[in-house]
Amino acid sequence: MTASLSAGATPVMDRLISRTVEKHRPLSVHFDLTYRCNERCVHCYLDHDNHGELTTAECLQVLDDLARSGALFLTFSGGEIFLRPDLYEILAAARRLHFDISLKTNALLVTPERAARLGELGVRRVQISVYSDIPAVHDAITKVPGSLQRTLAAIPILLQHGLQVKLACPLMRENLLAYRGVMALAEKLGVPYILDLTITPMMDGSSGPLAHRASVSSLLPVLQDARLEACKPQPTSATARPESVGPLGSAVSSGIESPAYQDLPCSAGHNSCYISPYGDVFPCVQLPQAAGNLRREKFDDIWYHAPQLERLRAIRESQLPVCSRCEIRSYCERCPGLALMEGGNLLGAYERACALAEEKARLAGVVAPTSALHRERDRASVQTTPEAEFALLAADSNSD
Amino acid sequence: MSTPAAVVWQKNPDLAWREIDDETVIISPHDSVMHELNDTGSFLWKSIDGKKSAAELAELLVENYQVAPDVALSDAQALLEEMSSRKLVVTVSATGGVSP
Repeated sequence: MTASLSAGATPVMDRLISRTVEKHRPLSVHFDLTYRCNERCVHCYLDHDNHGELTTAECLQVLDDLARSGALFLTFSGGEIFLRPDLYEILAAARRLHFDISLKTNALLVTPERAARLGELGVRRVQISVYSDIPAVHDAITKVPGSLQRTLAAIPILLQHGLQVKLACPLMRENLLAYRGVMALAEKLGVPYILDLTITPMMDGSSGPLAHRASVSSLLPVLQDARLEACKPQPTSATARPESVGPLGSAVSSGIESPAYQDLPCSAGHNSCYISPYGDVFPCVQLPQAAGNLRREKFDDIWYHAPQLERLRAIRESQLPVCSRCEIRSYCERCPGLALMEGGNLLGAYERACALAEEKARLAGVVAPTSALHRERDRASVQTTPEAEFALLAADSNSD
Repeated sequence: MSTPAAVVWQKNPDLAWREIDDETVIISPHDSVMHELNDTGSFLWKSIDGKKSAAELAELLVENYQVAPDVALSDAQALLEEMSSRKLVVTVSATGGVSP
Protein backbone atom coordinates (compact mmCIF):
# COMPACT_ATOMS: atom_id res chain seq x y z
CA MET A 1 0.00 0.00 0.00
CA THR A 2 1.32 3.42 -0.91
CA ALA A 3 -0.76 6.54 -0.78
CA SER A 4 0.42 8.72 -3.61
CA LEU A 5 -0.04 12.29 -4.74
CA SER A 6 0.92 13.59 -8.14
CA ALA A 7 0.54 17.08 -9.57
CA GLY A 8 0.67 19.18 -12.70
CA ALA A 9 -1.94 20.52 -15.08
CA THR A 10 -1.64 18.66 -18.36
CA PRO A 11 -0.56 15.12 -17.38
CA VAL A 12 -3.14 14.91 -14.61
CA MET A 13 -5.79 16.38 -16.89
CA ASP A 14 -5.02 13.96 -19.69
CA ARG A 15 -5.22 11.01 -17.32
CA LEU A 16 -8.45 12.38 -15.93
CA ILE A 17 -9.92 12.79 -19.40
CA SER A 18 -8.90 9.26 -20.36
CA ARG A 19 -10.43 7.77 -17.23
CA THR A 20 -13.66 9.74 -17.46
CA VAL A 21 -14.10 9.10 -21.16
CA GLU A 22 -13.51 5.39 -20.69
CA LYS A 23 -16.12 5.17 -17.94
CA HIS A 24 -18.39 7.94 -19.21
CA ARG A 25 -18.16 10.10 -16.10
CA PRO A 26 -19.62 13.60 -16.51
CA LEU A 27 -16.41 15.44 -15.64
CA SER A 28 -17.35 18.79 -17.09
CA VAL A 29 -20.77 20.44 -17.13
CA HIS A 30 -21.87 23.68 -18.76
CA PHE A 31 -24.99 24.90 -16.97
CA ASP A 32 -26.87 27.89 -18.39
CA LEU A 33 -28.87 29.43 -15.56
CA THR A 34 -30.89 31.74 -17.79
CA TYR A 35 -31.23 32.75 -21.41
CA ARG A 36 -32.33 36.24 -20.38
CA CYS A 37 -29.72 38.82 -21.20
CA ASN A 38 -29.05 42.52 -20.85
CA GLU A 39 -27.30 42.61 -24.22
CA ARG A 40 -28.71 41.76 -27.64
CA CYS A 41 -25.66 40.52 -29.50
CA VAL A 42 -26.25 40.31 -33.21
CA HIS A 43 -24.78 36.80 -33.50
CA CYS A 44 -26.41 35.26 -30.42
CA TYR A 45 -27.92 31.79 -30.80
CA LEU A 46 -30.38 32.09 -27.90
CA ASP A 47 -34.02 33.00 -27.49
CA HIS A 48 -33.89 35.47 -24.58
CA ASP A 49 -37.47 35.02 -23.38
CA ASN A 50 -37.99 33.13 -20.14
CA HIS A 51 -39.86 29.91 -20.89
CA GLY A 52 -39.79 28.63 -17.31
CA GLU A 53 -36.31 28.52 -15.83
CA LEU A 54 -35.37 25.97 -13.20
CA THR A 55 -36.19 27.28 -9.74
CA THR A 56 -33.52 27.77 -7.12
CA ALA A 57 -34.48 24.49 -5.45
CA GLU A 58 -34.35 22.69 -8.79
CA CYS A 59 -30.92 24.14 -9.55
CA LEU A 60 -29.61 23.02 -6.16
CA GLN A 61 -30.98 19.52 -6.73
CA VAL A 62 -29.23 19.43 -10.10
CA LEU A 63 -25.95 20.39 -8.42
CA ASP A 64 -26.37 17.64 -5.82
CA ASP A 65 -26.96 15.10 -8.54
CA LEU A 66 -24.01 16.32 -10.60
CA ALA A 67 -21.65 16.13 -7.63
CA ARG A 68 -22.79 12.59 -6.86
CA SER A 69 -22.20 11.66 -10.50
CA GLY A 70 -18.59 12.85 -10.32
CA ALA A 71 -18.83 16.19 -12.12
CA LEU A 72 -15.92 18.44 -11.14
CA PHE A 73 -15.72 21.30 -13.64
CA LEU A 74 -18.83 23.45 -13.60
CA THR A 75 -19.33 26.46 -15.85
CA PHE A 76 -22.30 28.70 -15.14
CA SER A 77 -23.35 30.74 -18.11
CA GLY A 78 -26.31 32.29 -19.87
CA GLY A 79 -27.80 34.61 -21.10
CA GLU A 80 -26.42 36.84 -18.40
CA ILE A 81 -25.99 34.99 -15.12
CA PHE A 82 -26.18 38.12 -12.98
CA LEU A 83 -29.84 38.41 -13.99
CA ARG A 84 -30.52 35.39 -11.75
CA PRO A 85 -31.29 36.89 -8.33
CA ASP A 86 -30.37 33.56 -6.73
CA LEU A 87 -26.93 33.40 -8.38
CA TYR A 88 -25.03 33.60 -5.10
CA GLU A 89 -27.20 30.95 -3.49
CA ILE A 90 -26.45 28.64 -6.40
CA LEU A 91 -22.73 29.45 -6.27
CA ALA A 92 -22.65 28.84 -2.52
CA ALA A 93 -24.19 25.41 -3.05
CA ALA A 94 -21.66 24.65 -5.77
CA ARG A 95 -18.86 25.67 -3.40
CA ARG A 96 -20.18 23.42 -0.64
CA LEU A 97 -20.15 20.58 -3.15
CA HIS A 98 -16.50 21.29 -4.03
CA PHE A 99 -17.00 22.04 -7.73
CA ASP A 100 -14.35 23.88 -9.70
CA ILE A 101 -16.44 26.89 -10.69
CA SER A 102 -16.13 29.10 -13.77
CA LEU A 103 -18.51 31.78 -14.97
CA LYS A 104 -19.25 33.30 -18.34
CA THR A 105 -20.62 36.83 -18.29
CA ASN A 106 -20.65 40.11 -20.14
CA ALA A 107 -19.66 41.68 -16.79
CA LEU A 108 -21.98 44.67 -17.20
CA LEU A 109 -23.39 44.09 -13.73
CA VAL A 110 -20.10 43.44 -11.93
CA THR A 111 -19.49 45.73 -8.96
CA PRO A 112 -16.76 45.56 -6.31
CA GLU A 113 -19.26 44.02 -3.88
CA ARG A 114 -20.34 41.37 -6.37
CA ALA A 115 -16.75 40.57 -7.32
CA ALA A 116 -15.91 40.15 -3.65
CA ARG A 117 -18.78 37.71 -3.23
CA LEU A 118 -17.62 35.71 -6.25
CA GLY A 119 -14.17 35.49 -4.68
CA GLU A 120 -15.59 34.42 -1.34
CA LEU A 121 -17.71 31.78 -3.02
CA GLY A 122 -14.68 30.16 -4.61
CA VAL A 123 -15.25 31.06 -8.24
CA ARG A 124 -11.96 30.31 -9.97
CA ARG A 125 -12.35 31.92 -13.36
CA VAL A 126 -14.57 34.41 -15.13
CA GLN A 127 -14.73 34.44 -18.91
CA ILE A 128 -15.85 37.75 -20.33
CA SER A 129 -17.06 38.45 -23.85
CA VAL A 130 -15.20 41.33 -25.48
CA TYR A 131 -15.77 41.92 -29.17
CA SER A 132 -13.38 44.78 -29.79
CA ASP A 133 -11.26 47.37 -28.08
CA ILE A 134 -13.18 49.97 -30.05
CA PRO A 135 -16.39 51.03 -28.28
CA ALA A 136 -18.34 51.65 -31.48
CA VAL A 137 -17.57 48.15 -32.77
CA HIS A 138 -18.24 46.32 -29.49
CA ASP A 139 -21.39 48.30 -28.70
CA ALA A 140 -22.78 47.79 -32.21
CA ILE A 141 -22.55 44.02 -31.65
CA THR A 142 -24.07 44.05 -28.15
CA LYS A 143 -26.58 46.77 -29.09
CA VAL A 144 -25.96 48.36 -25.70
CA PRO A 145 -24.34 51.82 -25.82
CA GLY A 146 -21.49 52.10 -23.35
CA SER A 147 -21.23 48.34 -22.89
CA LEU A 148 -17.53 48.05 -23.72
CA GLN A 149 -16.66 50.73 -21.19
CA ARG A 150 -18.67 48.95 -18.48
CA THR A 151 -17.30 45.51 -19.37
CA LEU A 152 -13.70 46.69 -19.32
CA ALA A 153 -14.23 48.50 -16.03
CA ALA A 154 -15.19 45.18 -14.45
CA ILE A 155 -11.99 43.37 -15.34
CA PRO A 156 -9.60 45.02 -12.86
CA ILE A 157 -12.27 44.72 -10.19
CA LEU A 158 -12.47 40.97 -10.71
CA LEU A 159 -8.69 40.65 -10.79
CA GLN A 160 -8.39 42.63 -7.56
CA HIS A 161 -10.61 40.07 -5.86
CA GLY A 162 -8.41 37.19 -6.88
CA LEU A 163 -10.49 35.91 -9.77
CA GLN A 164 -8.84 34.71 -12.95
CA VAL A 165 -10.18 36.52 -15.99
CA LYS A 166 -10.18 35.31 -19.56
CA LEU A 167 -11.40 37.30 -22.55
CA ALA A 168 -13.45 35.55 -25.20
CA CYS A 169 -13.88 37.20 -28.55
CA PRO A 170 -16.17 35.55 -31.09
CA LEU A 171 -14.99 36.82 -34.47
CA MET A 172 -17.54 37.81 -37.07
CA ARG A 173 -17.87 40.21 -39.98
CA GLU A 174 -18.48 43.15 -37.66
CA ASN A 175 -15.31 42.82 -35.58
CA LEU A 176 -12.89 40.77 -37.64
CA LEU A 177 -10.53 43.64 -38.29
CA ALA A 178 -10.44 44.50 -34.60
CA TYR A 179 -9.03 41.19 -33.42
CA ARG A 180 -5.53 42.56 -32.89
CA GLY A 181 -7.01 45.19 -30.63
CA VAL A 182 -8.54 42.50 -28.44
CA MET A 183 -5.20 40.69 -28.32
CA ALA A 184 -3.43 43.90 -27.32
CA LEU A 185 -6.08 44.62 -24.73
CA ALA A 186 -5.71 41.18 -23.16
CA GLU A 187 -1.95 41.44 -23.16
CA LYS A 188 -2.13 44.86 -21.53
CA LEU A 189 -4.41 43.45 -18.85
CA GLY A 190 -2.20 40.37 -18.51
CA VAL A 191 -5.09 37.96 -19.03
CA PRO A 192 -5.48 35.06 -21.45
CA TYR A 193 -7.85 35.31 -24.36
CA ILE A 194 -9.51 33.19 -26.97
CA LEU A 195 -10.58 34.24 -30.43
CA ASP A 196 -13.49 32.05 -31.38
CA LEU A 197 -14.05 31.58 -35.10
CA THR A 198 -17.39 29.86 -34.56
CA ILE A 199 -20.69 31.55 -35.19
CA THR A 200 -23.45 28.99 -34.83
CA PRO A 201 -27.07 28.79 -35.93
CA MET A 202 -29.77 29.47 -33.33
CA MET A 203 -30.43 26.58 -30.99
CA ASP A 204 -33.71 25.97 -32.80
CA GLY A 205 -31.71 25.53 -36.01
CA SER A 206 -32.59 28.82 -37.66
CA SER A 207 -29.71 30.37 -39.50
CA GLY A 208 -30.02 34.08 -38.63
CA PRO A 209 -26.66 34.39 -36.82
CA LEU A 210 -24.82 32.90 -39.80
CA ALA A 211 -25.31 36.15 -41.69
CA HIS A 212 -22.65 37.56 -39.36
CA ARG A 213 -20.13 34.80 -39.95
CA ALA A 214 -16.87 35.95 -41.52
CA SER A 215 -15.86 34.23 -44.74
CA VAL A 216 -13.01 31.75 -44.54
CA SER A 217 -10.87 33.92 -46.79
CA SER A 218 -11.40 36.93 -44.54
CA LEU A 219 -10.12 34.89 -41.60
CA LEU A 220 -6.73 34.45 -43.22
CA PRO A 221 -5.02 37.15 -41.12
CA VAL A 222 -6.16 35.36 -37.97
CA LEU A 223 -5.14 31.94 -39.25
CA GLN A 224 -1.75 33.31 -40.24
CA ASP A 225 -1.10 35.28 -37.08
CA ALA A 226 2.08 33.90 -35.56
CA ARG A 227 1.00 34.94 -32.10
CA LEU A 228 -1.97 32.60 -32.26
CA GLU A 229 -1.73 28.87 -32.45
CA ALA A 230 -4.58 28.89 -34.89
CA CYS A 231 -3.63 25.88 -36.95
CA LYS A 232 -3.80 23.49 -34.05
CA PRO A 233 -6.76 22.75 -31.82
CA GLN A 234 -6.11 24.32 -28.43
CA PRO A 235 -7.35 23.31 -25.02
CA THR A 236 -9.98 25.80 -23.95
CA SER A 237 -12.54 26.36 -21.29
CA ALA A 238 -14.85 23.97 -23.08
CA THR A 239 -13.19 21.27 -20.98
CA ALA A 240 -12.36 23.73 -18.25
CA ARG A 241 -8.74 22.71 -18.40
CA PRO A 242 -6.83 24.41 -15.65
CA GLU A 243 -4.04 26.34 -17.26
CA SER A 244 -1.03 27.00 -15.12
CA VAL A 245 1.19 27.37 -18.15
CA GLY A 246 0.66 27.72 -21.86
CA PRO A 247 0.08 30.26 -24.56
CA LEU A 248 -1.72 33.45 -23.60
CA GLY A 249 -3.98 33.36 -26.60
CA SER A 250 -5.50 30.95 -29.03
CA ALA A 251 -7.90 30.85 -31.93
CA VAL A 252 -10.30 27.99 -32.37
CA SER A 253 -13.15 27.16 -34.67
CA SER A 254 -14.99 24.60 -32.59
CA GLY A 255 -13.31 24.23 -29.24
CA ILE A 256 -10.93 21.87 -27.51
CA GLU A 257 -9.35 19.09 -27.51
CA SER A 258 -6.92 16.86 -25.71
CA PRO A 259 -5.00 13.98 -27.24
CA ALA A 260 -6.70 11.88 -24.60
CA TYR A 261 -9.86 11.95 -26.73
CA GLN A 262 -8.03 9.99 -29.43
CA ASP A 263 -10.59 8.69 -31.93
CA LEU A 264 -13.57 10.55 -30.48
CA PRO A 265 -15.01 13.58 -32.25
CA CYS A 266 -15.02 15.60 -29.00
CA SER A 267 -15.91 15.40 -25.34
CA ALA A 268 -19.66 15.92 -25.83
CA GLY A 269 -21.62 13.12 -24.21
CA HIS A 270 -18.44 11.26 -23.26
CA ASN A 271 -17.34 13.26 -20.23
CA SER A 272 -19.12 16.56 -20.69
CA CYS A 273 -22.60 17.87 -21.21
CA TYR A 274 -24.76 20.96 -21.26
CA ILE A 275 -27.80 21.78 -19.15
CA SER A 276 -30.26 24.44 -20.29
CA PRO A 277 -32.11 26.83 -17.95
CA TYR A 278 -35.16 24.64 -18.45
CA GLY A 279 -33.46 21.45 -17.32
CA ASP A 280 -32.84 19.93 -20.71
CA VAL A 281 -29.66 17.85 -20.88
CA PHE A 282 -27.76 18.10 -24.16
CA PRO A 283 -24.41 16.56 -25.09
CA CYS A 284 -23.18 20.10 -25.79
CA VAL A 285 -24.60 23.58 -26.22
CA GLN A 286 -23.66 23.24 -29.90
CA LEU A 287 -25.44 19.90 -30.17
CA PRO A 288 -28.98 20.76 -29.14
CA GLN A 289 -30.52 17.29 -29.14
CA ALA A 290 -32.09 16.88 -25.71
CA ALA A 291 -31.28 13.56 -24.09
CA GLY A 292 -33.76 14.18 -21.28
CA ASN A 293 -35.11 16.74 -18.85
CA LEU A 294 -34.09 17.06 -15.21
CA ARG A 295 -37.60 18.00 -14.14
CA ARG A 296 -38.75 14.53 -15.13
CA GLU A 297 -35.65 12.36 -14.71
CA LYS A 298 -32.59 12.12 -12.52
CA PHE A 299 -29.33 13.20 -14.09
CA ASP A 300 -27.78 9.74 -13.83
CA ASP A 301 -30.76 8.14 -15.56
CA ILE A 302 -30.33 10.52 -18.49
CA TRP A 303 -26.54 10.42 -18.56
CA TYR A 304 -26.17 6.66 -18.43
CA HIS A 305 -29.29 5.51 -20.28
CA ALA A 306 -30.45 8.08 -22.84
CA PRO A 307 -30.33 6.51 -26.32
CA GLN A 308 -29.21 9.83 -27.81
CA LEU A 309 -26.07 9.77 -25.68
CA GLU A 310 -25.44 6.08 -26.31
CA ARG A 311 -25.57 6.69 -30.06
CA LEU A 312 -23.20 9.64 -29.76
CA ARG A 313 -20.74 7.59 -27.71
CA ALA A 314 -20.56 4.97 -30.43
CA ILE A 315 -19.19 7.42 -33.00
CA ARG A 316 -15.51 7.11 -33.90
CA GLU A 317 -13.74 9.59 -36.16
CA SER A 318 -12.02 6.74 -37.98
CA GLN A 319 -15.43 5.43 -39.02
CA LEU A 320 -16.99 8.67 -40.25
CA PRO A 321 -18.27 8.05 -43.77
CA VAL A 322 -16.51 10.97 -45.47
CA CYS A 323 -14.13 12.53 -42.95
CA SER A 324 -12.30 9.27 -42.19
CA ARG A 325 -10.99 9.38 -45.78
CA CYS A 326 -9.90 13.00 -45.58
CA GLU A 327 -6.19 13.61 -46.17
CA ILE A 328 -6.22 16.92 -44.31
CA ARG A 329 -8.13 15.62 -41.34
CA SER A 330 -5.43 16.73 -38.91
CA TYR A 331 -6.13 20.37 -39.82
CA CYS A 332 -9.83 20.06 -39.21
CA GLU A 333 -11.82 21.06 -36.14
CA ARG A 334 -14.99 19.31 -37.18
CA CYS A 335 -17.78 19.76 -34.64
CA PRO A 336 -20.47 17.04 -34.56
CA GLY A 337 -23.09 19.58 -33.50
CA LEU A 338 -22.33 21.90 -36.39
CA ALA A 339 -22.21 18.89 -38.71
CA LEU A 340 -25.76 18.17 -37.67
CA MET A 341 -27.02 21.74 -37.72
CA GLU A 342 -25.26 22.85 -40.88
CA GLY A 343 -24.89 19.64 -42.83
CA GLY A 344 -27.89 17.75 -41.47
CA ASN A 345 -25.82 14.74 -40.46
CA LEU A 346 -24.08 14.14 -37.16
CA LEU A 347 -21.61 11.87 -38.95
CA GLY A 348 -21.13 14.02 -42.00
CA ALA A 349 -18.72 16.60 -43.29
CA TYR A 350 -19.86 20.20 -43.59
CA GLU A 351 -18.70 22.99 -45.79
CA ARG A 352 -17.38 25.41 -43.18
CA ALA A 353 -15.10 22.87 -41.46
CA CYS A 354 -13.76 21.63 -44.79
CA ALA A 355 -13.02 25.13 -46.05
CA LEU A 356 -11.26 26.08 -42.82
CA ALA A 357 -9.23 22.85 -42.83
CA GLU A 358 -8.13 23.49 -46.40
CA GLU A 359 -7.03 27.00 -45.53
CA LYS A 360 -5.10 25.83 -42.47
CA ALA A 361 -3.45 23.03 -44.44
CA ARG A 362 -2.47 25.48 -47.17
CA LEU A 363 -0.92 27.79 -44.60
CA ALA A 364 0.97 24.84 -43.14
CA GLY A 365 2.52 24.13 -46.55
CA VAL A 366 0.28 21.40 -47.92
CA VAL A 367 0.10 21.73 -51.71
CA ALA A 368 -3.43 22.05 -53.09
CA PRO A 369 -5.14 20.66 -50.02
CA THR A 370 -8.59 19.28 -50.73
CA SER A 371 -10.94 17.89 -48.14
CA ALA A 372 -12.58 14.54 -48.72
CA LEU A 373 -15.95 16.27 -49.05
CA HIS A 374 -14.70 18.50 -51.85
CA ARG A 375 -12.67 15.75 -53.50
CA GLU A 376 -15.65 13.42 -53.63
CA ARG A 377 -17.93 16.22 -54.76
CA ASP A 378 -15.52 17.03 -57.58
CA ARG A 379 -15.24 13.35 -58.51
CA ALA A 380 -19.01 12.99 -58.55
CA SER A 381 -19.20 16.05 -60.72
CA VAL A 382 -16.69 14.59 -63.19
CA GLN A 383 -18.45 11.25 -63.23
CA THR A 384 -21.83 12.74 -63.96
CA THR A 385 -20.61 15.09 -66.64
CA PRO A 386 -20.88 12.65 -69.61
CA GLU A 387 -24.40 11.74 -68.59
CA ALA A 388 -25.30 15.35 -68.15
CA GLU A 389 -23.83 16.16 -71.54
CA PHE A 390 -25.73 13.25 -73.11
CA ALA A 391 -28.91 14.52 -71.54
CA LEU A 392 -28.23 17.96 -72.93
CA LEU A 393 -27.48 16.53 -76.37
CA ALA A 394 -30.63 14.47 -76.24
CA ALA A 395 -32.60 17.52 -75.21
CA ASP A 396 -31.04 19.48 -78.05
CA SER A 397 -31.80 16.76 -80.60
CA ASN A 398 -35.38 16.50 -79.39
CA SER A 399 -35.84 20.20 -79.78
CA ASP A 400 -34.54 20.13 -83.35
CA MET B 1 7.07 14.00 11.37
CA SER B 2 7.33 17.57 12.48
CA THR B 3 3.76 18.03 13.73
CA PRO B 4 2.91 16.98 17.28
CA ALA B 5 0.54 14.09 17.90
CA ALA B 6 -2.21 16.38 19.24
CA VAL B 7 -2.40 18.20 15.94
CA VAL B 8 -5.32 17.30 13.74
CA TRP B 9 -5.67 17.80 10.02
CA GLN B 10 -8.29 19.43 7.85
CA LYS B 11 -8.75 20.03 4.15
CA ASN B 12 -8.02 23.47 2.78
CA PRO B 13 -11.58 24.77 2.35
CA ASP B 14 -10.69 26.73 -0.79
CA LEU B 15 -10.07 23.64 -2.91
CA ALA B 16 -12.21 22.10 -5.60
CA TRP B 17 -12.06 18.33 -5.53
CA ARG B 18 -13.90 15.22 -6.57
CA GLU B 19 -13.45 11.52 -6.05
CA ILE B 20 -13.97 9.80 -9.38
CA ASP B 21 -13.78 6.00 -9.40
CA ASP B 22 -11.62 5.70 -6.28
CA GLU B 23 -9.15 8.38 -7.33
CA THR B 24 -9.37 11.98 -6.22
CA VAL B 25 -8.55 15.07 -8.23
CA ILE B 26 -7.90 18.29 -6.35
CA ILE B 27 -7.54 21.75 -7.88
CA SER B 28 -5.84 24.64 -6.16
CA PRO B 29 -7.97 27.60 -7.22
CA HIS B 30 -5.30 30.26 -7.04
CA ASP B 31 -2.68 28.60 -9.25
CA SER B 32 -4.96 26.14 -11.09
CA VAL B 33 -2.58 23.27 -10.36
CA MET B 34 -4.23 19.86 -10.40
CA HIS B 35 -3.31 17.16 -7.91
CA GLU B 36 -4.22 13.50 -8.11
CA LEU B 37 -4.55 10.98 -5.30
CA ASN B 38 -4.58 7.23 -5.81
CA ASP B 39 -7.14 5.02 -4.09
CA THR B 40 -5.29 4.86 -0.78
CA GLY B 41 -4.60 8.58 -0.88
CA SER B 42 -8.28 9.14 -1.65
CA PHE B 43 -9.24 7.05 1.37
CA LEU B 44 -7.05 9.23 3.57
CA TRP B 45 -8.37 12.41 1.93
CA LYS B 46 -11.96 11.41 2.65
CA SER B 47 -11.01 10.67 6.24
CA ILE B 48 -9.45 14.08 6.84
CA ASP B 49 -12.21 15.90 8.68
CA GLY B 50 -10.55 18.45 10.94
CA LYS B 51 -10.79 16.05 13.89
CA LYS B 52 -8.24 13.30 13.29
CA SER B 53 -4.50 13.26 13.88
CA ALA B 54 -2.00 11.47 11.65
CA ALA B 55 -2.00 8.54 14.07
CA GLU B 56 -5.79 8.27 13.93
CA LEU B 57 -5.75 8.43 10.16
CA ALA B 58 -3.10 5.69 10.13
CA GLU B 59 -5.34 3.53 12.32
CA LEU B 60 -8.07 3.83 9.69
CA LEU B 61 -5.60 2.64 7.08
CA VAL B 62 -4.76 -0.39 9.21
CA GLU B 63 -8.47 -1.18 9.64
CA ASN B 64 -9.27 -0.90 5.94
CA TYR B 65 -6.11 -2.08 4.21
CA GLN B 66 -3.90 -5.04 5.03
CA VAL B 67 -0.97 -2.99 6.21
CA ALA B 68 1.28 -2.97 9.27
CA PRO B 69 0.70 -0.10 11.73
CA ASP B 70 4.20 1.33 11.33
CA VAL B 71 3.90 1.33 7.54
CA ALA B 72 0.46 2.94 7.74
CA LEU B 73 1.72 5.68 10.04
CA SER B 74 4.74 6.33 7.88
CA ASP B 75 2.59 6.51 4.75
CA ALA B 76 -0.03 8.74 6.35
CA GLN B 77 2.60 11.11 7.71
CA ALA B 78 4.40 11.32 4.39
CA LEU B 79 1.21 12.06 2.47
CA LEU B 80 0.04 14.67 4.98
CA GLU B 81 3.39 16.43 4.85
CA GLU B 82 3.33 16.39 1.07
CA MET B 83 -0.22 17.72 0.95
CA SER B 84 0.63 20.34 3.54
CA SER B 85 3.56 21.55 1.46
CA ARG B 86 1.14 21.98 -1.45
CA LYS B 87 -1.38 23.78 0.79
CA LEU B 88 -4.01 21.08 0.30
CA VAL B 89 -4.36 20.46 4.02
CA VAL B 90 -3.77 22.54 7.10
CA THR B 91 -3.15 21.56 10.69
CA VAL B 92 -5.43 22.57 13.51
CA SER B 93 -3.99 22.78 17.01
CA ALA B 94 -5.74 21.37 20.07
CA THR B 95 -6.88 24.90 20.84
CA GLY B 96 -8.54 25.19 17.45
CA GLY B 97 -6.06 27.47 15.68
CA VAL B 98 -5.31 26.82 12.03
CA SER B 99 -1.80 26.88 10.63
CA PRO B 100 -0.85 26.41 7.00
